[in-house]
Amino acid sequence: MALEIQNITKIYKMGQEEVRALRGVSLSIAKNEYVAIMGPSGSGKSTMMNIVGCLDTPTSGEYFFDGEDVSKMDQDQLADIRNRKIGFVFQTFNLLPRSDIFHNVELPLIYGGLSSSKRRELAEAAIERVGLADRIRHKPNELSGGQRQRVAIARALVNNPSIILADEPTGNLDSRTGEEIMGILDGLHQAGNTIILVTHEDDIARHAHRIVRLRDGLIESDERVGAMVAQ
Amino acid sequence: MRFIREFLESLRIAFDALRANKARGLLTTLGIVIGIVAVVTTMTAANGLANAFRESISAIGTDVLYVSRSPWVQMGRNFDLRNRPNLNLKESEKLSAKLVSAQAVNPTTGTNRQVKFQSKTIEDVNIVGTTDRQMMVSNSVPEYGRFLTAFDVQSRKNVCVIGHEVKNRLFGSANPINQDMRIGRRRFRVVGVMEKQGTASFFGGPNFDMQVFVPVTSFVKAFGSTNRNFNFAVKAPSQEAMADFEYELVGEMRKIRRLKPAEKDNFSINQMNTLLDAYNNVMGVIVMVGLLITSVSLFVGGIGVMNIMFVSVTERTREIGIRKAIGARRRTILAQFLFEASTICLIGGLVAILLSMGVTALINNLLMPASISMPIVVVALAVAAGTGILAGLIPAIKASRLNPIEALRYE
Repeated sequence: MALEIQNITKIYKMGQEEVRALRGVSLSIAKNEYVAIMGPSGSGKSTMMNIVGCLDTPTSGEYFFDGEDVSKMDQDQLADIRNRKIGFVFQTFNLLPRSDIFHNVELPLIYGGLSSSKRRELAEAAIERVGLADRIRHKPNELSGGQRQRVAIARALVNNPSIILADEPTGNLDSRTGEEIMGILDGLHQAGNTIILVTHEDDIARHAHRIVRLRDGLIESDERVGAMVAQ
Repeated sequence: MRFIREFLESLRIAFDALRANKARGLLTTLGIVIGIVAVVTTMTAANGLANAFRESISAIGTDVLYVSRSPWVQMGRNFDLRNRPNLNLKESEKLSAKLVSAQAVNPTTGTNRQVKFQSKTIEDVNIVGTTDRQMMVSNSVPEYGRFLTAFDVQSRKNVCVIGHEVKNRLFGSANPINQDMRIGRRRFRVVGVMEKQGTASFFGGPNFDMQVFVPVTSFVKAFGSTNRNFNFAVKAPSQEAMADFEYELVGEMRKIRRLKPAEKDNFSINQMNTLLDAYNNVMGVIVMVGLLITSVSLFVGGIGVMNIMFVSVTERTREIGIRKAIGARRRTILAQFLFEASTICLIGGLVAILLSMGVTALINNLLMPASISMPIVVVALAVAAGTGILAGLIPAIKASRLNPIEALRYE
């Protein structure tokens, strides 16, 4: 198992009111799965993604990531897990605007403490893999949206993570560019990566082989679909 | 290794951030520059004053004791000092005869008179009656001509040795030797010119270059001896024997004055060190106050840096979120902002040191000998870095504690 979530809840305090964003969710995702997490806004989808991505910890329940219990970890330990085991792809790309492509992709390796020659080797390979080798010294604002998202994907896979977590990766792109990006993610899956996709678009979710639907903080359905079924 | 790499990344971020906001960085740095220049210049000026003082009194030997009517440094008011008898020439002769261990006893007295040569006059010049033995108790020597001789003193010759500035103002570039000048209404022949000594006059001290030396005997003849007070410069046999020698000197003076054992001394023994100590005490207070005032400007500069760091953290909330999401730890983010603040301050410190060197050169040329010393440079840089770290600490802590989820959502 890549990750195993057991009966997780998440309660936020919004002023006087308690918001129960997750109300007991269990989910296991195996290595090399391609999972889409879906749900309307307010379903707990974002909360789920934050917890799965180790950006946040659950109020109760347990979460094992590669066998490690991450549900009780402190901020720095979580940062370490994110650094070594999770590659993020965000809707808004979230690149450092003042740094060039190379530095953006290299960044997780710096925090991972790799030597500069090793960083160069891995970052160049990752940039090559998303087809931006000729743009390596460009700044993000010199690239199109699709190219920026490809940089983000390169950054996500540079440290060979256990999962790639893509949060609405095509949300800011036109449909053609979106398809392109999904093509890259499909390719990564075929190369053996575990991919978790958070989206509310059926077209995008269809790329995954398993769709988990959330509603009101609970899992509404969990089914194998699309390519997997076709196979 | 990992720590070093995070460290380098933090340094790089700091420089990137400064490059991205040049004008802002410049203005913030300016505050620090002004603060440090103020502090460094104060310290340099204090050193300069101390140097000037030391230089101007260096002519007075440290192995010389001065017998005077009253102490040079007086704390509070001492009414019994007024009733002390004057020291006179006879006492000087007795002391010279009795105190065999002394290398020299030189009586001096002084008055202020107008001096005149042809059409040029100077008012209120310090006229010093002295003897040939002055050459033994003082380090300053004639630049040309000669000093007074024992013969001048014995035969009450109307000859004089003039200070460097007196020569310049009365004679200009002409040769004063063997010229007759007037001191008061008397005519004196110039036999020598003293070398330039520098001045302690901005302490209210004497200007040694504005003195005229005449034989003490001629002085008495010309200006009278009633109510005239003398000082005796007494040279100790050696620097080491000063304490014993002072004891001996006091004993001889008491004998000369026929003081009973129960009576207090009605004279004072002075030496250069008491003056130096008093000076150091006063200077210490002045420097402390100066530093206190100037550090206020450094403090204001530090507040400027802190302000900018808060802006910087807010502006880069999203960046902090990104960095945290991909694995930056709290200490990494903390270091990033501390480095940014210290870099601003260190650059400020370096600029400030360069500026201070200019200011110091100016002081050196116009006012007094002054120089920037290595310790001052080190202290200035340390203060700069310290200010940066202090000013950056709270904003950096704020940044390091940001929640990555909220930071990523920040627009």
